[in-house]
Amino acid sequence: MGALNGLFGYAFLVPLLMVASFAIVGLAGGRLKRLEWGGWVAVAFSGAAMVVGVLISVGEMLSPSSYTNVQYTWLHLPPAPGTFPNGFELVVGTLVDPISALLLLVVTVVGFLVMLYSIGYMHHDRGLPRYYAELSLFLAAMTGLVLANNLLEFFVFWELVGVCSYFLIGFYYEKPSAASAAKEAFLVTRVGDVMFLLGIFLYFSTYAQAGPAGGWAANGFVFVHGAQPFVPVGTGNGTTLTIAGILILGGAAGKSAQFPLHVWLPDAMEGPTTVSALIHAATMVAAGVYLLAVTSLFLGFTATDSLVIVAIGGFTAFFAATMAVVHPDIKRVIAYSTISQLGYMVLAIGAGFAMVGLYHLFTHAFFKALLFLAAGSVIHAVGTQNLFQMGGLKKRMRLTAAAFAIGGLALAGIPPFAGFWSKDDILAAVFSQLGSHPAYWPFFLLAFAGVFLTAYYIFRAWFLAFSGPTTRDPTLPEAHEGPWVMQVPLVVLSGFAVVAGLFVFLPGFPGLLLNGAGVAGIPPHYGTTELLLSGASVGLAAAGIGLAWFLWGNGRVFVLPESSPAQPVCRLLLARYHFKEAYDWVGLRAVYTVARAADFVDQYVIDGTVHGFERAFAAISDRLRRIQSGIVSDYAAYVVAGLLLVFVLLLLVAPWIVARLGGS
Amino acid sequence: MTSLPIVGFVALSAGLLAIGLFGVLTRRNLILILISVEIAMNAAILNFVYFAGFLGGAPALRGQSIAVVLVGFAATEVAVGLAIVLALHRVRGTINVAETSELRE
Amino acid sequence: MLPILSLVLVTLLVGTVATFLAGARARWVALGVSAVFLAEVGTLFAQYPGWPGYVNGVPGFADGQSVPWIHLGWLQVNYTVGVDGISLIFILLTAILQVATVVYSWGEERRPAAYFGLVLLTCLGCFGVFVALDILLFFLFWEAVLVPMFFLIGYWGGPRRRYAALKFFVYTHVASIVMLVGLLALAFYSGAASFDFSAVYAAAPTLSPVVQAFLFLSLFFGFGVKFPIVPFHTWLPDAHVEAPTGGSVLLAGLLLKLGGYGLIRWAVEVLPEGLAHVRPILFFVAFLSIGWGSVVSLAQRDLKRMVAFSSINHMGIVLLAIALGSSLGLLAAVLLMFAHGIVSGLLFMTAGSVHHTFGSRDIPAIGGITPTTPALSTMIMVGSLASLGLPALIGFPAEFTALLATWNGLGYWVMIPLGILVVTASFYLWMMQRMLFGPARGVPAEAHDVPWYEGAGMGLLVALTVLFGVLPGLLVNVIVSSPIKGFPGT
Repeated sequence: MGALNGLFGYAFLVPLLMVASFAIVGLAGGRLKRLEWGGWVAVAFSGAAMVVGVLISVGEMLSPSSYTNVQYTWLHLPPAPGTFPNGFELVVGTLVDPISALLLLVVTVVGFLVMLYSIGYMHHDRGLPRYYAELSLFLAAMTGLVLANNLLEFFVFWELVGVCSYFLIGFYYEKPSAASAAKEAFLVTRVGDVMFLLGIFLYFSTYAQAGPAGGWAANGFVFVHGAQPFVPVGTGNGTTLTIAGILILGGAAGKSAQFPLHVWLPDAMEGPTTVSALIHAATMVAAGVYLLAVTSLFLGFTATDSLVIVAIGGFTAFFAATMAVVHPDIKRVIAYSTISQLGYMVLAIGAGFAMVGLYHLFTHAFFKALLFLAAGSVIHAVGTQNLFQMGGLKKRMRLTAAAFAIGGLALAGIPPFAGFWSKDDILAAVFSQLGSHPAYWPFFLLAFAGVFLTAYYIFRAWFLAFSGPTTRDPTLPEAHEGPWVMQVPLVVLSGFAVVAGLFVFLPGFPGLLLNGAGVAGIPPHYGTTELLLSGASVGLAAAGIGLAWFLWGNGRVFVLPESSPAQPVCRLLLARYHFKEAYDWVGLRAVYTVARAADFVDQYVIDGTVHGFERAFAAISDRLRRIQSGIVSDYAAYVVAGLLLVFVLLLLVAPWIVARLGGS
Repeated sequence: MTSLPIVGFVALSAGLLAIGLFGVLTRRNLILILISVEIAMNAAILNFVYFAGFLGGAPALRGQSIAVVLVGFAATEVAVGLAIVLALHRVRGTINVAETSELRE
Repeated sequence: MLPILSLVLVTLLVGTVATFLAGARARWVALGVSAVFLAEVGTLFAQYPGWPGYVNGVPGFADGQSVPWIHLGWLQVNYTVGVDGISLIFILLTAILQVATVVYSWGEERRPAAYFGLVLLTCLGCFGVFVALDILLFFLFWEAVLVPMFFLIGYWGGPRRRYAALKFFVYTHVASIVMLVGLLALAFYSGAASFDFSAVYAAAPTLSPVVQAFLFLSLFFGFGVKFPIVPFHTWLPDAHVEAPTGGSVLLAGLLLKLGGYGLIRWAVEVLPEGLAHVRPILFFVAFLSIGWGSVVSLAQRDLKRMVAFSSINHMGIVLLAIALGSSLGLLAAVLLMFAHGIVSGLLFMTAGSVHHTFGSRDIPAIGGITPTTPALSTMIMVGSLASLGLPALIGFPAEFTALLATWNGLGYWVMIPLGILVVTASFYLWMMQRMLFGPARGVPAEAHDVPWYEGAGMGLLVALTVLFGVLPGLLVNVIVSSPIKGFPGT
């Protein structure tokens, strides 16, 4: 036991390996034509990173609840009155603990598989060195985030994964829509980031002098493992902590695309499908959930925060699923599904079951990456993302069809696939809280209804793409499976999508979720209530699949009649509830108009005043010029007048002033 | 000499100064202006001489030397001034200051 | 020990004269001088841990040197120079930007001797300002900076160069006079009977708070116009738009910093009580500058003008950090100014290269330049991302410290600069979307990537942006290794 613990101190190797990959591919990728422009270099390095990551997580399984913190001083800051009277240090370091090991496992495994898949999927694209360099940098930042040992370091990597996402969404930058989507993603998450940063300030200053060993500040603000380490200082901090929690939620909502900052994620599908699978399904968007989990473990949320988090999570889980129901684009359907599933995780964390949320994060990463890679395989084959042009693909793409089906079953929550265990665990956990928190009821019901929608939309996509006799659009190219580099990840991920949910019942694995002593909900407990709940949710999912088959199965296409009263709803869903238009209006119309007005004021009012002074001085000097007659007598007269003035000042005015001031 | 009131002497030099200034301001002929300047300057020289006598001792020595230096100054000034007047007359054919305003340009 | 500061001054003085006289080889002379300058600054850095603290309550400066200069009765003017952590950071910035500017401007064809000579002269003046510890010496250098910059804009500038140069000169000169009055009043009223910084520093606390407040305000106006603060900022966009690239780099990178440095050294450190009385005014001006600079940037079409207004935004954050009145705030202000010096220098260089390559800086008229000029696009991206505060680039540690200090000092008011960060991000991202991405627009067929010297100049700044972004401790440790004056013990 614990033979691998010696490795924990070297966890920094994982991000470092990917930084090395970034440097090599970024600098020399253009000369590595035979290595797929650096692609194989990136695959090798991410493979090495995966080995280290897996070893670390296995080590953590073997010695549960151990943790290893390695840190260096990053900045030594001088004192500030009030909160930091003694100055303080900011540190960087790696903290290997159960949950970071869990995330490390997910990120490195999915990262490696996506990197491998990219070799086949991206083969025909230009700019491959840039692609592999950016993807390597993303993996470096993401693993750094996972291993961060304090909130500031977390924020640093949080921003770095954001910027990698920005570049990768905009990978096809010649397309205006891709460039626009990249900007949108950056800006919307930036709104969340700003809230996150303020939340960090609030926590820093609240807890600076509380906590172990002379205060959290003295400790470099490092996450202290174990139970909640901090005692709120005084009673007035309840409000501050509530605000801090809401702000952290804001940051998480930006990154994890929760309502109302969800708009960027569907548009982020402009990026390559591999990027969507890795960044916008399995890892980066889960960072927000991870942040909430870490915060709830180390800092704690107040009751108000919990309710808000539950509300956002539960509502988003349903809200995003409704938009997935009608969308014709295969990738966007999966993107909405991602938002919805992240909502389930947020819901669980809000209800106080951070570990259950992370459990779902773990299973979701695999089956959602699988779905995206399967969709990528389809797009690679037929060159379109429009579901209504596809059809009948299962004959030519048996592996892909099976993989997508497995992913779909896992997503829908059909036992024994991975999603069933974790999603049911979430529902059961939230259900157990309903007695003491009746305010959770509506959000529980929304999440429960979401199960039906989830099963429906994902199988609608499956039937549209794979079932039926042939493609609806005859101009599509003859479909074919991708090369082996694309098939291997599909097979591996399919395996995970089947069994990952069961890991939690194995001895050892819960060490990645159990935080020291046992945590409620891990592993799922099946009493009568839970079994009934499971039965109900599986029934709902089965009904969803059945409806999907009824409307879309065997190549059927369901067209909503024009006269149907559901038409306005359908249009509203297709318009994504007009959120994007509203944000565009704020950004493009309101803010830009203000900016133009300010620019006008700057040029004509402020600078106009300056020019006014200029003209006034010119006019005055033009008058004064006339005094210069050039006649000596006049000058002599001015001299005499000036002399008299000096006399008057010296003899009359100066004594008067001195007398008024009380001098002698 | 010490019996005479200082006020009278000061009044005398003030009068000289006033005459000099009046001349500078009202005359248009450059030679007359020059003469007026000299008169005003003599008022200052006179003051030095009075006060030298009035105070006696070391200040007296200082005052008298300054007076002598100033007399020298006045002489050089007249020399330079008249040279300018001559040059002006040669170039412009007039020594009326109202007609010479090149300083303006 | 060698008097390195005086050595640097001599180096720059001799180097400037030599450059003016060097004719066609001026760029080589200038590069040699810059290299020596950088080496000397490096030597200074190597000594930093052993700096003196306070001596009898008066701050000690490292490498100090004081020689009588003009002694007439009560008028005691000395040649006094010295550095502490704060000035050393600015000296480093001066050396870096000088090297980068000389390299970047390697291809200057119009009167290269005069151009490089003026560049060196500007840096000489800035260096003098950063090391002078005597009021008159300080003022001498301060004014000396204006002249070469006036000619740089007025001769090598764009179409409206005369107007811009004159506006720049008159505006900043008027402010200088107000500042000089404040400085002289400081020396005479405090009873220091000397123009020496240490004497003024020791004597100023005896002044009554009201006098301190008024002195502070006059100094603030003088230094503030250089910042520039809204509404006295309109000289900046015009000067930047018309200035040649090298001039813009020095203008944004160094001249704006003179204001910040002067405010810290001669107003905040000397008159902390005066600061305490006028803080609300400073906060108001700072918030105004932050918001105004950022929002107006959003409306700009000219790349240079956009960067110029973003400078106003960034210097507003500097002012905010200074006005907080804490050691943490001062540290943040110095870091911010260093970061802004590097990043705005980089951005103005990219703007210059865009102009050289595409014949225009109009953002909507140019698009999709990345395939044509990948290196230049990368530089623009790095510069923009650093400017909007991306971690691992130099802007982040500075902005983080400043915002943390603001939160600590002002509480929820920090939401103003935080919220503006979104606007700042949006105008940079929008510029990148329009100029770098999308289909090619306004790209001449013969356009090719930047020449090697422009790439090298920008590359140096990019490398430093990353280096100091990852290891900001290199700067912070220097700043805090000598006592941060003004707020001892906070």
